[in-house]
Amino acid sequence: MGRKGVQEVEGHTSDILFKLFGLPVTSHVTTMWAIMAVLLVLCLIVSRSLQKVPGRLQSLAEFTVEGLLNFFGGILGREKARRYFPFLATFFLFILFSNWSGILPGAGHLKGFKPPTSTWSVTIGLAIVVFVLVQVAGIREKGLGYLKHFIQPIPILLPLNIIEELVKPLSLSLRLYGNIFGEETVAAVLLSLAPYFSPIPMQLLGLLFGFIQALVFTTLAAIYISIATAEGH
Amino acid sequence: MEFTWYEFTWAIINFLVILAILYKFFYNPVIKFLDNRSDEIRRNISEAEQARAEAEAVLEEYRNKLAGAKQEAQEIVARATRVGEEARAALLEQSRAEAAALLEKAHQEIQRERDDALKTLRQEVASLAVMAAEKILGRTVTKEDHTKMVDQFLDEVGEVH
Repeated sequence: MGRKGVQEVEGHTSDILFKLFGLPVTSHVTTMWAIMAVLLVLCLIVSRSLQKVPGRLQSLAEFTVEGLLNFFGGILGREKARRYFPFLATFFLFILFSNWSGILPGAGHLKGFKPPTSTWSVTIGLAIVVFVLVQVAGIREKGLGYLKHFIQPIPILLPLNIIEELVKPLSLSLRLYGNIFGEETVAAVLLSLAPYFSPIPMQLLGLLFGFIQALVFTTLAAIYISIATAEGH
Repeated sequence: MEFTWYEFTWAIINFLVILAILYKFFYNPVIKFLDNRSDEIRRNISEAEQARAEAEAVLEEYRNKLAGAKQEAQEIVARATRVGEEARAALLEQSRAEAAALLEKAHQEIQRERDDALKTLRQEVASLAVMAAEKILGRTVTKEDHTKMVDQFLDEVGEVH
């Protein structure tokens, strides 16, 4: 039974639903689209009716924006935090919603519904965006001087420095994937052992873990940007 | 752990799409809105502070004016009191002087009356005395006698007086 649950979560080799622009679409991809649709609807509702005295939804949106802005400001400083805020906040929201989508009933079981962050293909995709963002940010803030840090303190360390840069997205993606996949697996096993009530604690923990993993990914991304753009490196 | 290029590609595409969506419909308007609102709040606070400062200045001005008016009123009352006192004193002095003048005049009148009366009395007494003396002597009193007797009499009367 347990083995079957694991297979249900992981087995997506034959999960191709259809192809779009020649690219195969899987359940992870359709779930991403659903999350995007939800985010789009939410932010349309919020941005269409911004009031001076905020309602509940607007308060939540303001709290999210200001909270994240202050959080990133603590890592990057006010100015840089504002510059890279769209990327960092999108990582956070997209990953958070992806993680939480795994808590909904049917996740991993229904066709076309699998939490996107439970596959490494997606998390490494996001981590590669972080990698590119960090390199671009470094060059943008420090010019070509940024590239000098690859041969510092001595040029012979160039391979090690490159590995260090490449390991960052790898660790980011594996951490996120491992946590969410592991959590999904545990929930699936619990569900297959005792379908009623037993997954509830795991789902509650899933809320917490989903938030923490989204925050960890985003925080590390911010720290990488901070390191790459730091003066006098 | 499996890796597929198409899911990897979709993840990047989807991320960039949702980034664009959130930027256009969420971050940009919300951050602009929040900035505007904090600007407005800052402006309102500074305006309120300015208004308060102005109100305090006006209050201070009116307090000063009130204090000035009170002082002025006191001065006016004091001046009026002083003027009244002076007028009373002057009137008193005047009436006292008038009374004294009247008294003096009355004294003089009395004195004059008395002198007149005395003079009249002296003449009466003199002629009565002459008549009495003529009766007693049985003859006309001469000028010398007359004068002598009157003087003698008057001396006596003067001594009695």
